Amino acid sequence: MLARNLRDRRLQLLSGALALVLLTFAAAPLPLTRTGYEILAVVDITGSMNVRDYRGAEGGPASRLDTTKAALRALVAGLPCGSRLALGIFTERRPFLLFLPIEVCGDFAPLDGTLAALDWRMAWEGDSRIAAGLFRAIEMAESLGTDLVFVTDGQEAPPLPRTGGPPFPGKPGAVRGLIVGAGGYGLSPIPRYDDRGREVGFYGETDVQQENRFGPPPADAESREGYNPRNAPFGSSAARGSEHLSSVREPYLKALAGETGLAYAHLAGPGGLLPPVAAAATPRPVPADLDLRPFLGAAALALLLAVFAAPLLRAPGSTSAHHVPRGKKV
Amino acid sequence: MPVSAFLARLDAASPLLLWLLPLALLPLWVSGQRVTPVPAIRAAPSDGLSRAIGRALSLAGVLAIGGVILALAGPYRRGETVTRTGIGAQVSMLIDRSGSMNETFAGRQPSGGEESKAAASRRLLGEFVGSRAHDQFAVAAFSTAPMLVLPMTERHTAVRAAIDAIDRPGLDYTNVARGLAMALAQFGTGTAEASRVLLLVSDGAAVIDPRVQGQLRADFAKVRPNLYWLFLRTKGSPSISDRPAGEDTPQAAPERHLDLFFRSLGVPYRAFEVESAEAVADAIRRIEGLERDPIPYTEQRPRRDLTPVAYALSALGLLILIAGKLVEADLRRGRAAAAEATPARGVSRERRAA
Repeated sequence: MLARNLRDRRLQLLSGALALVLLTFAAAPLPLTRTGYEILAVVDITGSMNVRDYRGAEGGPASRLDTTKAALRALVAGLPCGSRLALGIFTERRPFLLFLPIEVCGDFAPLDGTLAALDWRMAWEGDSRIAAGLFRAIEMAESLGTDLVFVTDGQEAPPLPRTGGPPFPGKPGAVRGLIVGAGGYGLSPIPRYDDRGREVGFYGETDVQQENRFGPPPADAESREGYNPRNAPFGSSAARGSEHLSSVREPYLKALAGETGLAYAHLAGPGGLLPPVAAAATPRPVPADLDLRPFLGAAALALLLAVFAAPLLRAPGSTSAHHVPRGKKV
Repeated sequence: MPVSAFLARLDAASPLLLWLLPLALLPLWVSGQRVTPVPAIRAAPSDGLSRAIGRALSLAGVLAIGGVILALAGPYRRGETVTRTGIGAQVSMLIDRSGSMNETFAGRQPSGGEESKAAASRRLLGEFVGSRAHDQFAVAAFSTAPMLVLPMTERHTAVRAAIDAIDRPGLDYTNVARGLAMALAQFGTGTAEASRVLLLVSDGAAVIDPRVQGQLRADFAKVRPNLYWLFLRTKGSPSISDRPAGEDTPQAAPERHLDLFFRSLGVPYRAFEVESAEAVADAIRRIEGLERDPIPYTEQRPRRDLTPVAYALSALGLLILIAGKLVEADLRRGRAAAAEATPARGVSRERRAA
């Protein structure tokens, strides 16, 4: 009797399900390694990042800095647990490190709070020497042992001299990472603030330096109006240009990326940073836990459904001795 | 705890899986037991116990399947904030990142085994953070402009990562006024739930613009923190208490006048003037000692995983089902089997059930 019951297929299935369910109490999470990233994010907080040429969440205009912050917050939320992020801000000619790498899951709240609090008012000087800042950010990433994500619109202020920017002193490709170009492709006015931080309109053409007049004059200087080799080597008229307007300087940033061995990506909106970052950064093994319980539970569920669904799956109306629909249970 | 409050805090990690729950009704319709053909159901007398056992087995099936589905969805009880009393404080740190912090206490570039003022503060403040479990920290830095480094948090690893960055090369100036405003803002706008500490670490002072002084006074009166100024004095530079030889103006003696300003704020205030790393350690120990009041702190109770409970329910259902299967009788062969076997308890019970 008991022996016959023990041979019953459904009893065996139920016992298997019970064994699997009981195993869930004993199964410890399986330690394994997952792909994570270690990133130093450096954010340009100079004046041109205040240009509002993005669309915000409510459809209104959003500044490049606000969009960058939103994108970085989305990036932190999307990075696999165990990844770590250090944060620096850039203005003048150097990055300033706010903190060393912080784990993105456990310490998400303070990390997110700091990203939300990034402000152009933290800038300590108005200049924006992108190339110098980028080179020093690469050094910083190297000293931290991380990859670099450098977010900027690429607008040098003051403009670079004709001879070009400073040469890259490091080894191209020694630090991996990504330059993120923030800003629209069309020219937009740059908001201007007074010394108490209130917005007071936009920069005009004569408010900013349009041409870098340090160093030797350009080759065409002789043909300029009022040229005098000693007294007016750059000509006598004021330089005109569009440096008071801003767009993302993509060719320049791509050239910088090529020179330093970094990748380049355009910031399209308040998201979408994870794929280019994952492609450009070094995948690093981070410890992770694999919870085995869902697998055990799913197997137990399959066995249980087999027990209860099997009679349904048999052909209805079959004259099998063991199958009488609505038969009395005993 | 009221049941409704408990239910309101239940949640699942992957709630979409709960759509599988109707599968748990399957046992109400199909039985896992052996089916025996009988010519007429009326042939057996109506038996209350049989019906009860049949119903129990159906419910056990519901429990087994439903429990597993529930467990797969990852049920948990949401975390909650509980207020307790412990030793701790909200500490807003304001750290000078001007270039002179990277010099030694002797005012030189560090060489050999020498430690810069920034490195000494990094080491000692790092020890301060985490020495008490319930402290909360916020970090702001200042040079020309104030910089929010970390908002108020109880995650000490993050705070240590921020403190570890303070011996990196600093910036130009010491503009303490805006830094103080930011450090005060770090406490938030709510009323004080814990004792509040504003810890200023700097190696110099600056003139606070009289126009800003009024606003700062108002902020201090609102937040009412205990103010500590860890003044890392370089050897040979003026002390807090030194009166300048000439005119006693803020421009001539900014340290002394910042001290006078702090004294006039009407909040508990102490200045620690230190000239060596040992003195810094001593000052930090004394600050720790002063902030020993029991204070209410809020603790975030983590969410509780209820998956084992769901699996336990499923296991209970399965045990009943298996028991049902083990004592099941086969009426067709049962008579012959029963004749051979000694009348075991299971068999007799099954007879009754039948």
